[in-house]
Amino acid sequence: MFELLKSVMSEVLLLDVDGVRPDALREDAGLDSLAVVELSMVLSQHHGIEVTDDELFELDTVAEIVALMEQRKRTAA
Amino acid sequence: MTGGATGPADRAVVCGLGYWLPERVVTNAQLAERLDASEEWIVGRTGISRRRWVEPGEATSDLAVGAGRAALKSAGGGPVDAVVLATTTPDYRCPATAPDVAARLGLNGVAAFDVSAVCTGFVYGLATAAGFIAAGLADRVLLIAAEAFSTLLDPDDRTTQPIFGDGAGAVVLRRGRADEPGAIGPLVLGSDGARAELITVKAGGSRIPFRTAVPDDGSQYFQMRGREVFRQSVERMSAAATEALDGAGWRLSDVDRMITHQANARVSAALATRLGLRRDAAPQNIADVGNTAAASIPVLLAQAALDGTLEPGHRVLLAAFGGGLTWGATTLTWPGLEVHDT
Repeated sequence: MFELLKSVMSEVLLLDVDGVRPDALREDAGLDSLAVVELSMVLSQHHGIEVTDDELFELDTVAEIVALMEQRKRTAA
Repeated sequence: MTGGATGPADRAVVCGLGYWLPERVVTNAQLAERLDASEEWIVGRTGISRRRWVEPGEATSDLAVGAGRAALKSAGGGPVDAVVLATTTPDYRCPATAPDVAARLGLNGVAAFDVSAVCTGFVYGLATAAGFIAAGLADRVLLIAAEAFSTLLDPDDRTTQPIFGDGAGAVVLRRGRADEPGAIGPLVLGSDGARAELITVKAGGSRIPFRTAVPDDGSQYFQMRGREVFRQSVERMSAAATEALDGAGWRLSDVDRMITHQANARVSAALATRLGLRRDAAPQNIADVGNTAAASIPVLLAQAALDGTLEPGHRVLLAAFGGGLTWGATTLTWPGLEVHDT
């Protein structure tokens, strides 16, 4: 799921993901207030993972986002 | 009129285009200190490096007259039967600004009124002008979109202050046929008043007249809920654009240029991604002029026509989104126009 997140960040959000580790802070990884909206839309539209931008905006680290994505993927499966 | 055109002459056809920007350039460096933000922060969030703002005392009508004059010159002069002004920032609460603009352009006496659809104002204005022509009320309409949005901004709000610029763009529409270059295609318009709260200037209307407004609560300023606006703008513009393409019988791969409201560089990029359009098919000018609200589409059209980004024969998709909420989209095949730099 971390790899999926990095691929969306890189290919859709055009963020530089080299060196982004799970413990990186969300904002430091480039996932600012507008990026979390686009991330939420892309995860829903293309990957069947429903997370709101409000939920993403509350999270501090990349690892917390990955954990939420994994939880929602399981719920949807 | 092109040879071989058929069908009734009941459509609006673009035959003139111009724009006008105020002289004063405001850089990110000039805004950064008061907003407790860096130049990099502003560019990263918005894609905007500089914008034009009116000087104190300079008003929307001043910009509208400049753009209107340029569009009339581009159209080869001549009379128009109506002046439609799309604006969020009229010179006065009353009266409308369009009659003053018409008079200053030497068009005193024609039908003249304002259209208020915030950043979708130009597309709503196209529909209004097309309706005047279809109804037989006018053979030529001057449509101007002009904004002095800087006059609405909270000087301490870093989420809005860097985003908006002032400016005006205008087109002349003439009576013509659907298969001519420049003919406005299917018009898709919509609104969602249940989300009116996302984009507001609350004070100064009948709900909160200035005499009862609470001082310093921000109600006199433009306010926007950024994340929800971002989501709505991408979703609404992509849906409207898709519907307009269907109406025109075009596929996305037929689109040579998508000219969208320049809300934020990242909205435009997200919209292209969602539609699956090449990003280089969606030109932007937001870095240099900011978000000029209703004026953004005609200003970008004029600049793109001048620098060759838009060429005669290009199939062009227009899409806009704004407060209301409102949205709209349409298509046209780009005509050969004589556009002058201003």
